[in-house]
Amino acid sequence: MYKAKVRGVLVEDHKTYKDITRDILAPIEQNAPTWWYPAIGVSIVMLLYGVWAGYVTITQGIGTWGLNNSMGWGWDIINFVWWIGIGHAGTAFSIFLLILRQKWRTSINRAAEAMTVAAVLCAGIFPMIHMGRIWMAFYIMPYPTSRLLWVNFNSPLFWDVVAISTYLMASATFWYVGMIPDFGTIRDKTTSKIKKAVYGFLSFGWVGSARGWLRYEALAMILGGLTAPLVISVHSIVSMDFSTSVMPGWHTTIFPPYFVIGAIFSGFGMVLTLMIIIRKFYKYQAYVTDGHLNAIAKILTFISLIMGTAYATEIFIAWYSGSEYEYFTFFNNRITGDHMIGFYGMITCNAIIPQLFWFKKIRKNITMVFIISLFINLGMWFERFVIIVTSLSKDFLPVNWTDYTPTVVEIGIYVGTLGLFTFAVLLFFKYIPMIAISEVKGILKPTSHE
Amino acid sequence: MNSYVENHNIFGVFNDEEILISAIKNIKESGVKIKNVFTPFPINEVFHELGLTTRFPYFAFVYGALGTILTFAGLYYTSVMDFPIVVDGKPHLSMAFIVIMFVMTINIGIVLSLVSFFTVQKLFPGKQAVIIHNDITDDKFVIVIEKDHNMSKPDVDKINNLLVCNGAIEVGEKNDVENI
Repeated sequence: MYKAKVRGVLVEDHKTYKDITRDILAPIEQNAPTWWYPAIGVSIVMLLYGVWAGYVTITQGIGTWGLNNSMGWGWDIINFVWWIGIGHAGTAFSIFLLILRQKWRTSINRAAEAMTVAAVLCAGIFPMIHMGRIWMAFYIMPYPTSRLLWVNFNSPLFWDVVAISTYLMASATFWYVGMIPDFGTIRDKTTSKIKKAVYGFLSFGWVGSARGWLRYEALAMILGGLTAPLVISVHSIVSMDFSTSVMPGWHTTIFPPYFVIGAIFSGFGMVLTLMIIIRKFYKYQAYVTDGHLNAIAKILTFISLIMGTAYATEIFIAWYSGSEYEYFTFFNNRITGDHMIGFYGMITCNAIIPQLFWFKKIRKNITMVFIISLFINLGMWFERFVIIVTSLSKDFLPVNWTDYTPTVVEIGIYVGTLGLFTFAVLLFFKYIPMIAISEVKGILKPTSHE
Repeated sequence: MNSYVENHNIFGVFNDEEILISAIKNIKESGVKIKNVFTPFPINEVFHELGLTTRFPYFAFVYGALGTILTFAGLYYTSVMDFPIVVDGKPHLSMAFIVIMFVMTINIGIVLSLVSFFTVQKLFPGKQAVIIHNDITDDKFVIVIEKDHNMSKPDVDKINNLLVCNGAIEVGEKNDVENI
């Protein structure tokens, strides 16, 4: 099946199996690099800001946010959707490429999956805290209550609860199962007694027997096969939080595919950001090659075109439908109006800037690739801002019209999740093999120089 | 199935997967039964040579089907039988159930597949692994052959020779190795 080397060399520098083990375990065996300590310090400060904001929200209520009767959703749901979008990267990368038998996934899947788990954890905070009385959060679960009531199973908000919790469970278990053989490698190779005990515990007694590998491979394909449709359904369900309402700008059939592709776009953007950092700071150029980054850039170019088409379709339908409310939302409150910056930021970052990847020179320039990946992350945030703020701030009745500015508390929760994400990723750099050791070994011979 | 009863075994360590695969073929041809093979990554040719198959995908299908049925039963009980409340004029038995059924099919399918894998493979947190060779999860490949109680020294030497002749760089003995 893999006779043709369409992707070229996936592991550079004539690495042996032993080299792979040594290189990938080096960050775990050695002291953390000097930049790691200030970075984790900054992430903890950001996290503490978020904890303070969460404390204020819980003790004083969501009146501390910039929401009002018209703007029922603000930064909470913008950031929820943004994080969930980023959280699609692990699955998009790891699982879609696994079931499509794409070998180039092996150097990147571990980091993408780690990022997914951290991003979904960050995402989960927002709907929980936006309920106001977080200690009543268990009301959303279907259980036999003293009030003899069940939850509304036909509500997209409940679908969200089921989909996101299932997605968190699926991506976390897929990530962990993938790490078991590598934990076994650390157990066998480390010289530290503490690490031997900890990673031995985490490795579940893995020894790599033939039948163990056979079942392991079957399990990976089963988890992949089950989780791939889950990715589609999770962001489709998130989009239905909007599209099943009657708000202008939200009530459109394009939303589910538009959200799914947007999520994969932002996820790939974040994977690119993260892999360039890992490659640079941990000197993994032999594993995360220019070819890997080139492949991601090409995929992003294609997805960017789909994003541009989706934006154009929305605008066209707003005019073609003859609905004055849709027309107003798109032409008077997005293309022109108070939120033009958000709209043009979204178009520029998502549909125009990634088109630079058509040029090979830009795809080969890692600094440019890194900057464009940051623009994609920013652009996808703008997209969620535009969707939520423009539609809610000016709905059908001018008497309801309002504006929205986030407070320091809302900003604090967002900054806190950025801190949590960075903190989790830095711990991942230090304590978990950033590249799947056994998987890279599995593709070494068919894809190396030899 | 794996078994962890006390047993005595001879093992050969190999440097390369191609040598390992040819050794497995030759050992099989010489009539010696291979007890287990350990590799640092999955190798399809090893599964093929050892005649290993798994029914795992069929089980996963059954788990998924079970998930669909259980979820529908739960939705039907709560929304049609126990507390049939009208929300927005929608029927009690609603097509919208499909969304929850879809997600929960995946949820239950994943959970039961994981439980099956860890149970059948006898993996659990903190399990003490029987490590035949320190490089088994690094760059070495191992073939294990059971040392029968009645085996004489010449028989053992014969097996050791067989392993060395087929490319083993090291041979040795180890107790309590799991069966294939």
